[in-house]
Amino acid sequence: MQASRARLFKEYKEVQREKSADPDIQLVCDDSNIFKWTALIKGPSETPYEGGVFQLAFAVPEQYPLQPPQVRFLTKIFHPNVHFKTGEICLDILKNAWSPAWTLQSVCRAIIALMAHPEPDSPLNCDSGNLLRSGDIRGFQSMARMYTRLAAMPKKG
Amino acid sequence: MEDYGNSDDEHQYLDDDEVDIDDNGYSFEAPATENMARASASSMVIPKESLLAAQMGDLLRVMDLLSLKEKHARTLLIHYRWDVEKVFAVLVEEGKDKLFAQAGVTVVENDHQVPLSQCSSTFCCNICCDDVSPQEVTTMDCGHCFCNNCWTEHFIVKINDGQSRRIKCMALKCNVVCDEAKIRCLVSARDSNIADKFERFLLESYIDDNRRVKWCPSVPHCGNAIQVEADELCEVECACGFQFCFSCSSVAHSPCSCLMWELWSKKFEVESLSLNWISSHTKPCPKCCKPIEKNGGCNMVRCKCGITFNWISGLEYSNGYIEVSEKRPEHGKWRLESYYHCHKLYKAHTESFRLEYEMKEDIQDKIKILGEKDTSSKDFGWIKDGLNKLFRARRILSFSYPFAFYMFADDLLKNEMTREEREIKQNFFEDQQQQFETNIERLSLILEENFEKYSEHQLKDFRMRVITQSVTADYLCRNLYEWIETDLLGSLKHSVHKIAPFNSAAVEKASKIPYC
Repeated sequence: MQASRARLFKEYKEVQREKSADPDIQLVCDDSNIFKWTALIKGPSETPYEGGVFQLAFAVPEQYPLQPPQVRFLTKIFHPNVHFKTGEICLDILKNAWSPAWTLQSVCRAIIALMAHPEPDSPLNCDSGNLLRSGDIRGFQSMARMYTRLAAMPKKG
Repeated sequence: MEDYGNSDDEHQYLDDDEVDIDDNGYSFEAPATENMARASASSMVIPKESLLAAQMGDLLRVMDLLSLKEKHARTLLIHYRWDVEKVFAVLVEEGKDKLFAQAGVTVVENDHQVPLSQCSSTFCCNICCDDVSPQEVTTMDCGHCFCNNCWTEHFIVKINDGQSRRIKCMALKCNVVCDEAKIRCLVSARDSNIADKFERFLLESYIDDNRRVKWCPSVPHCGNAIQVEADELCEVECACGFQFCFSCSSVAHSPCSCLMWELWSKKFEVESLSLNWISSHTKPCPKCCKPIEKNGGCNMVRCKCGITFNWISGLEYSNGYIEVSEKRPEHGKWRLESYYHCHKLYKAHTESFRLEYEMKEDIQDKIKILGEKDTSSKDFGWIKDGLNKLFRARRILSFSYPFAFYMFADDLLKNEMTREEREIKQNFFEDQQQQFETNIERLSLILEENFEKYSEHQLKDFRMRVITQSVTADYLCRNLYEWIETDLLGSLKHSVHKIAPFNSAAVEKASKIPYC
């Protein structure tokens, strides 16, 4: 019955083998629990998140891959589709559009894509969504950049 | 009727109490117009048992035209919400390939594909990462191949999630909808309950996803669904007797628009209790209209606004009791007052409707007594007809109060009219409403008579009165509707409120579907 374990084990091997394949994503499995993963992703270039490194936490359910993993940001981020306090992510593939063919690696890629292309019409962070919707791109970018500097970049000195 | 602003015209309606409409000549014109009005029967009842047949009818049309299999036709129709015309329109405009691609349909020419893994001894499923024998894998129309176990689990998750109408392939970004036969086969091998659920969802999709079909909203549910032909904005009567508005699924509520009715029923629910208390325990101040509760003392009551009035007569007190001039208070205060007024009358007429409805059995008994007597005519259809007209008119009258509230008093349509326009229209509306009401009361009174004891001659007279009065009420009702549709709602510029068209015969009864 441990299909999830077998599948995660295969993903683990895949990640080890292709460590250098995607330099933007670093996926690490918890030492003692294969259902807990963390990832470090780089903010995509030409976005206010550029230069930041964001930490994600994965909680994989027993029914994986039939049920999607629960993913949230551990690093604070100012983004319309990420809850500012809890780091919860609003992304269709993590909810009803989930398909068992997604892997943890491809979920990370989808999250990077979401960072580059926010969906202000279904916001979890209303302030951020409202800035974008009202057309205040500059305001949004400076807020997002400020939080990237504060939370996602190594402190100087 | 256009120049209702003219004060001379208004008079004609103001002193209607004494106008004997029966002599005006137009009362008999009405039946002629009635016959030509909306003769087309446009709705049908689909009992639960015929659901399959009804669905099959639409499926066959698409299958014939596109030479498709049933499963593909179903996927296509579910995607286009069972709108066969829409499928044909997309076919003509965008072509077959696009039509299929949008709905996630892939038509494979050869059904006997060779599984990719036939050559190797085992097959590695990309989902569970187990090696399985080639007999235990299934390939969908799109060519994606996974092990049976994973497919089954995937289907069960989706069915339990209520997504069984469009279960997509598991592969990434594959938009193809899975073959229902394969789903059925795999799921029923695991759990027959879930397979049943899948079948039921497929069947019910015909109603849930269909713009033109709705479940009858009666409680407890009668099991029927109603299909309308063209106009979704109509009021229908199900075979179980429940009348409802097809577009919002609540009770038939014209002349209120759906939005007005929704607002009203919410408001009514919340405020009805407090309003009941206010109406039984307080009186409004004659000047500022605020409700006042008298909890002791004499009848000389002083309001916060400074005036003193007599509690019994409600007149303002100065040196003697003088009548307060009939000045209409400002809009805000007036709105409350007006809601209070509309609420009271709405409730009163709903109550009358209930009482009159109870009269129905009484009247049937009386008709029975009459039938047993030796009379020349045995046909008493006209009494029932009059009674039905009374029910309908009463219902419409009660709903005309919430309508008036949203039309004239509430802020809902505040920007649509100037104050003067509003006042003119409101006066005219209230005159019509009042005239309508007077005639309904007359009809009600006539029908309450103990006609079973009448002599032949008296009965003839009674018949005449019932018919004339019901025709008059019907005529006024039609006028009110027409006026609301064209002059009040039709002239709105910023918002759209539509009501179901008036049908003088009764709310349209849905006819039985020809299948079964």
